[in-house]
Amino acid sequence: MENKHYNMFEIFRGFIAIAIAIFVAFILILICADDPGKALECLLIKPIISNGALNTKSIFTILARMTPIIFTGLAVCVMFSANQFNLGGEGAVMLGGFVAALLGIYIPMASGVHILVAVLAGTIMGGLIMIIPAVIKVKLKASEMVCSLMMNYVIMYIILHFLNNVFADRSKGATQTYPFLNTAIIPKIIPTSELSWGFAIAILATVIVAYFMYRTRWGYSIRMIGINESFSKYSGMKVGSIIVLSQVIGGMLSGMGGAIEILGRENAFKWLDLPGYGWTGITVAILAKNNPIMIPFAALFISYLNRGCELMSIYAGVPAEMIDIIQAVIFLFFAAEHFLSGTRQKIVVKDAKEELHKKELATSGEGGNA
Amino acid sequence: MSDNNLVVQMKGIAKVYPNGVAANQGVDFNVMRGEIHALMGENGAGKSTLMKMLFGLEQPTEGEIIINGEKVSLSSPTVAISKGIGMVHQHFMLVPSLTVAENMVLGMEPKQGNKLFINYKKAVEITEEYSKKYNLFVDPHAKVRDIPVGMKQKVEILKALVRGAKILILDEPTAVLTTQETEELFKELIHLKEQGYTLIFISHKLNEIKQITDRLTIMRGGKSMGVHETANISKEEISRLMVGRDVVLTVEKEKAEPTDVVLSVRNLEYTNEWNKKMLDKMSFDVRKGEILGIAGVEGNGQRELVEMLFNLNVPDNGLAKVNGKNILGRPQREIRDMGVSLIPEDRMTFGIAGAGTIEENLMSDRASEKKYNNGLLFNLKAMHEDSDELIKDYKVLCKSRRQPVGMLSGGNIQKVVVAREFSSEPVLIIADQPTRGIDVGATEFIRKKLVELSREGAAVLLVSADLNEVMELSDSLIIMYNGKIAAYFEDTSVLNDTIMGEYMLGLKQQDAEEIRGVLHGE
Amino acid sequence: MFHQLVDMVFSASFGYSIIRITSPILFAALAAVVAEKGGVVNIGLEGIMMISALFGVLFSYWTNSWLIGVVGAVVIGVLVAMIMAVFALKLKTDIILAGIAINLLGGGGTVFLLYLFTGLKGNTASLTTPNMLTPKVNIPLLKDIPVIGQIFSGHSVLTYVAFLLVILVWVLLYKTAMGLRIRAVGENPNAADSVGVSVLKTQYIALAISGALAGLGGAYMSMYYSQSWNIGIVAGRGFIALAAQAMGQGEPVGAMLSSLLFGFASALGNKMEGMQGFSSYLVASIPYAVTIIGLVIYAMSTIKKVKRFKDSDK
Repeated sequence: MENKHYNMFEIFRGFIAIAIAIFVAFILILICADDPGKALECLLIKPIISNGALNTKSIFTILARMTPIIFTGLAVCVMFSANQFNLGGEGAVMLGGFVAALLGIYIPMASGVHILVAVLAGTIMGGLIMIIPAVIKVKLKASEMVCSLMMNYVIMYIILHFLNNVFADRSKGATQTYPFLNTAIIPKIIPTSELSWGFAIAILATVIVAYFMYRTRWGYSIRMIGINESFSKYSGMKVGSIIVLSQVIGGMLSGMGGAIEILGRENAFKWLDLPGYGWTGITVAILAKNNPIMIPFAALFISYLNRGCELMSIYAGVPAEMIDIIQAVIFLFFAAEHFLSGTRQKIVVKDAKEELHKKELATSGEGGNA
Repeated sequence: MSDNNLVVQMKGIAKVYPNGVAANQGVDFNVMRGEIHALMGENGAGKSTLMKMLFGLEQPTEGEIIINGEKVSLSSPTVAISKGIGMVHQHFMLVPSLTVAENMVLGMEPKQGNKLFINYKKAVEITEEYSKKYNLFVDPHAKVRDIPVGMKQKVEILKALVRGAKILILDEPTAVLTTQETEELFKELIHLKEQGYTLIFISHKLNEIKQITDRLTIMRGGKSMGVHETANISKEEISRLMVGRDVVLTVEKEKAEPTDVVLSVRNLEYTNEWNKKMLDKMSFDVRKGEILGIAGVEGNGQRELVEMLFNLNVPDNGLAKVNGKNILGRPQREIRDMGVSLIPEDRMTFGIAGAGTIEENLMSDRASEKKYNNGLLFNLKAMHEDSDELIKDYKVLCKSRRQPVGMLSGGNIQKVVVAREFSSEPVLIIADQPTRGIDVGATEFIRKKLVELSREGAAVLLVSADLNEVMELSDSLIIMYNGKIAAYFEDTSVLNDTIMGEYMLGLKQQDAEEIRGVLHGE
Repeated sequence: MFHQLVDMVFSASFGYSIIRITSPILFAALAAVVAEKGGVVNIGLEGIMMISALFGVLFSYWTNSWLIGVVGAVVIGVLVAMIMAVFALKLKTDIILAGIAINLLGGGGTVFLLYLFTGLKGNTASLTTPNMLTPKVNIPLLKDIPVIGQIFSGHSVLTYVAFLLVILVWVLLYKTAMGLRIRAVGENPNAADSVGVSVLKTQYIALAISGALAGLGGAYMSMYYSQSWNIGIVAGRGFIALAAQAMGQGEPVGAMLSSLLFGFASALGNKMEGMQGFSSYLVASIPYAVTIIGLVIYAMSTIKKVKRFKDSDK
């Protein structure tokens, strides 16, 4: 089966890309770490095993950090599937987090309901804001990419304005809001760790998005539009509406990610800059090849590396920002269609030849019945 | 024959595209110095692929190419050009926003003394010089987007000559030309031949081939069917080699008994973005139970007509109704809900989503229907069942419904499109070039299905540049010329190539009264 | 308050700051123009500027020469653009994704590189010496004209380079063989290919030029505007440049006008910040909002143009 050949080949390619990235990391570590052996240990092993035992605390941290990037990864996955290069995830995350935070601080509600309402509000705001680039794209054919990029900054500055001038808790040294009401804080799965039930919601969201993309007419339309917009239009799909829908869903997922991150990991709104999860979400989606089910695995990988880089910076003096270099390298190779394409062409030619051969056998066998 | 006379030798050429399509298999192709050599074959026979390899645009998977006795590896057009090969493409390789002179010198720009800036005056001079030398008149200062097709073609030929081409490949050069322009082109080509140039002329028009070529090579199904002296081979023989004797061209069909008007088009007008009138007061009716064919040389408004009827473009004026309801400017969903199906001419752009599975492609017009949904989720069972049935009924050669449709052969891709379009219980089927570039088996299958559906009561509008097809399948027939109906034939059995040709090339035109026969409604 | 604003807008110092703020965006917008003309969307401008800004400082620090610093920034800009080009053009990474990867490098990667080379974390303020900054140029005669002199004289040497480059880029695109090839490749790559103009090579060159221009923009930021490098130094200017390119219809002069519009909005914001009753944060968002509005207006006008054309046919 030729499909099997391709799939195996794709997996092989992915591994090579990751291997190259890790190799680059090794070289960088060799150059700048005082004790490269220790640095490598921090990067690869320490995130899960320290002093010969499972490092549960660190493992929970890794899982906790997966949460927001699963959401943004899913968001990118939906938008990129529709071929919409909306890069507004950053802004939507921050906005979702901010709105959820305000509700968590100022509107007392029953426990249980409070979290639900706050997260939903963040989700909805994230979705609403994405209507702007989406509608501009559909109605005016202006680039959703440029528009969403600009929007990130507008959102950030508006939030900073409100944070500094309206909602700031002046009793604190750093700029932040008043603390969330207890009813609004998402409980931890493991009490002493960073890991909240938000993680479970992220996994649930993954399943829902996977179902949405592959088992519903809307997800189907999104994918078809992404593959071939003209075809979708000709087939009778409402292309404009679906394009808007894909970006709104992307915004909702990002907004939800922001809300859950804020209420699950922090006790007050403290973001003074775009949080970066939107960009990481793109890396995650690329690693997952836009397949929702693969998003948590990709997020785990990035989160693990992230933790490793952090430990490396604490114990081996290698700046944690190395993660960005590793990410960039993986990203570039993973998305490179012609990376190792010579090998792929050989597979194609071989398959085509086999097929021709089979066909010839078949026709000669039929004795010209056709 | 001594090898010295052979300027081009291609031996045992095979080409497999990355999508797995084997376009050429073991092709041998020879051209002699100073001849006009025809390369013939139906669409999809592999002639374009072969020529792309000769021009360095594609590389052969197997085989060797020898130019002037020297074995060469034509890794790019640059290499091909340096070996004296030039190509005039069917889709012009011109940059619209640049002037004729700029297009002429692109890649070999004359410089000012300081080597930095383009010497535009020199570019104009070069253009004028070659223009005069070869009797190919062009306006060096005009922007290419503003000049007529005939002139664009001349620019293309000049471009090849100015780059020192001695062997000129012309890919269906007459497809876009008027009769007069064609005659002019032939004079120019013969002029070139007399000056010692070698010309490879790709075409499937028998008369043209007979008129100007010395020898011809026929291709079929990616293989060469041999080389012949043009003078020594009859049109019938060429036709037999091109089409193949095993193909039964006559499709059995009962006499049509058309009833009510389904599609009614009145005074449809459209002017394209270059201000060319593509549709000029088109009016016709298609009735239930009949196949109305639209024949004509490509580019006479057929494509635009189909685009209007499926809202892929907006007309300037006119009406089009299906069972009394307007379809112009309506969303495709609504048009489809009225029972209209379209087999699009450009199947890769409109017909399929290549990376999608066969099933996803079969379901594209109906995925929202109740039948395929249980509440929010798809009813996968219904989808799988119906897809498998369609794959079986339409004999789509594939491994499973999960296979990406883009990996299928052209014929099977078209069967997927047809399976979808024919299975939606259409009242009107618009079939635009339904068998272009696909294998004989699939062609026959699709044609039979088309007849079958019309006899079951669908109205069929068949647009085809394939004369055989349009004459065999149609019950009655329109010939389009210059955006207008040049002729209408109630009964296609009285037709032959000659009559068709005269109308298609604009030599003849029926009077208004005869054409009005196509209007069956009010 | 309104009066205050009007007075300010008509002051010479306001004109001066428009030009000062416009310069880096202009470099990047020209970079976007050249890439786009060659048929490549260079979304990696942001990252290239970040990396070049850093290396500009480092080179000038190592050599104690601002000139070498600027040259270094340009070379690095070209190099990074070439990395992007290899992936996007040769290995067929989607050009937008390749750009995003370059921006990742520009974001965290620069912090890492800074540490690698100097051991510093986060910014280079401690390295800065006067020799490392690009000098201000007072233009003889012009500087003595009232108002005009105050607005147009006394800018960084790079500012004059930026505006000069508008003309140079125009000449490059419309008067040289390379420009002809870049435009041909961007508009109809098949046509270029068929006459032996290598699409790949031409796009490499377009991206290299784009990288060099963005590199100058980076150098301007760290070696003049902010006087040192820090992680937030480029702050979306690479993205704004993309918007300026789009608004300017992909032409050098149009891109300059759009950049000036952004510079105006930004300068206005800066001035308002100092006044009572304006939130510095809201004001900071103005340029970005203006860019969105500008894009919308431009898009609306193009759509209307098409409609008018259709209507005039009837």
